[in-house]
Amino acid sequence: MRIGLACPYSWDVPGGVQVHVHDLAETLLRQGHDVSVITPVDDEDLLPPYAVSAGKAMSVPYNGSVTRILFGPLSASRVRRWVREGSFDVVHAHEPTAPSVSLLACLAASGPLVATYHTSNPRSRILTMLQGPLQLALEKVWANIAVSEAARRTVVEHLGVDAVLIPNGVDVAAFAAASPLPELASSRPTIVFVGRIDEPRKGLAVLLEALPMIATAVPDVRLLVAGPGDVSEVEAELDPAIRDRVHMLGLVSDADKPRVFRSADVYVAPNTGQESFGIVLLEAMAAGTPVVASDIDAFRRVLDDGRAGRLFANENPASLAEVMIEVLTSPDIRRDLAEAGSKVVQQYDWSSVAVEIVQVYETVTQDPMLQD
Amino acid sequence: MTLVIAVVAIVVALASYLTWMAGRLDRLAIRVEAAASALDAQLIRRALVAYELSADPGHGDLQAAARLALDERTGGLDRSSVESDLSRELRAAPEVAANDEMAIAARKVMFARQFHNDAVRDLLALRQRWVVRVLHLYGRARPPSYVEFDADEPTG
Repeated sequence: MRIGLACPYSWDVPGGVQVHVHDLAETLLRQGHDVSVITPVDDEDLLPPYAVSAGKAMSVPYNGSVTRILFGPLSASRVRRWVREGSFDVVHAHEPTAPSVSLLACLAASGPLVATYHTSNPRSRILTMLQGPLQLALEKVWANIAVSEAARRTVVEHLGVDAVLIPNGVDVAAFAAASPLPELASSRPTIVFVGRIDEPRKGLAVLLEALPMIATAVPDVRLLVAGPGDVSEVEAELDPAIRDRVHMLGLVSDADKPRVFRSADVYVAPNTGQESFGIVLLEAMAAGTPVVASDIDAFRRVLDDGRAGRLFANENPASLAEVMIEVLTSPDIRRDLAEAGSKVVQQYDWSSVAVEIVQVYETVTQDPMLQD
Repeated sequence: MTLVIAVVAIVVALASYLTWMAGRLDRLAIRVEAAASALDAQLIRRALVAYELSADPGHGDLQAAARLALDERTGGLDRSSVESDLSRELRAAPEVAANDEMAIAARKVMFARQFHNDAVRDLLALRQRWVVRVLHLYGRARPPSYVEFDADEPTG
């Protein structure tokens, strides 16, 4: 099948949607499909052979964080040309509500069009306000997919669109096979945080507040912080008592990410909300790293209500510290969590997730008479 | 003169708006038609797979339900109840429902029904617009209707 994937955010900036599009593209290629990706990108040299650039994106604040988007006549014409010259059996636009490449792809497409919604945001005024104009693009979509129940609820409430649920995938084998990074090797109990350090909803502040409490019970504990953002700003605000326990790794490459998980004893996800799905949790589970996470809906679901990872009360540093101390001091708990996590994550492996997505493609391309 | 230009401008604007709106309706009607034929194809496929897999005597009820679903197109039966019956029989025969091909066929029916009803909803919404209703922009096309039947995945 010839499949065109549209990604709204810059390919060379890490993010859940980009990783999803990348992994989906590679899995589809492995399964013998013909795939082309169109995406904004800053440095075209970083694009894999199956991807084409729609131009450079610009930064705008959106949905409580900074998003890099692309919208204008030049990118519109590039997207139109990509759709026309690709002669795809199906075009698959990711996050079509972002003012970027995916929305342009919806407008340009004339045949079977699939859309995947990634974000959940129960209070999005922007979405509600834009419902009218967006309707023009979204009524061209033949099949809607949501990656989580929360994302599905968001589109139902704000856009009046329903969607089938197909979760995010993770490349389980790649994470399971990774080896720890030698430069991070240590016998000290190690916690790892992965995510933007300057985005409040990722919850680094909750973790940093809990760390001194954890240190009273686990004296040689250390914390690895992996993710983009202004390192010096976070370091300046660190409590001096814990400064030497915190190692800022900055932005970690996709290749090193599995190895960072493997270098830690526990992965912590202190996210405070607006997370529609815990893809990073799945990556940690795939790497065999025990998970401790806030008890927001999306995480509770992925962690099987606490069986595949420990939950603490959201935005509560004392609760986080209590759970973390228990996990860090018990090798048995960690082993059980790692085992339960490896089992749960199998159903999210890309090989099974992509099969379901292809079934959606097959459903909308069923009748060859009606294809463009 | 100014008046003439203004009137011409308004007429041109109105005409292009109506043409554009008719185009939208047309496109949505194509989407509904494609979704209806996809749903039809998936229902036939599900019935065929169920019929084949229920050949042994233990699955008489399932086979009868699959047979009815296949006959439905020629027999003028009530589609919604026939397809719901087949879904129920499939749930009652978990060993058949667990078959890979059966599971895929059942899931695609669920997808196709959802996509069809989404398309119907979008088209109905546009047909309800004031300007579309008053000017009969949809021509003689009949309003599309939802397809409702029990299509829960047999394997849950």
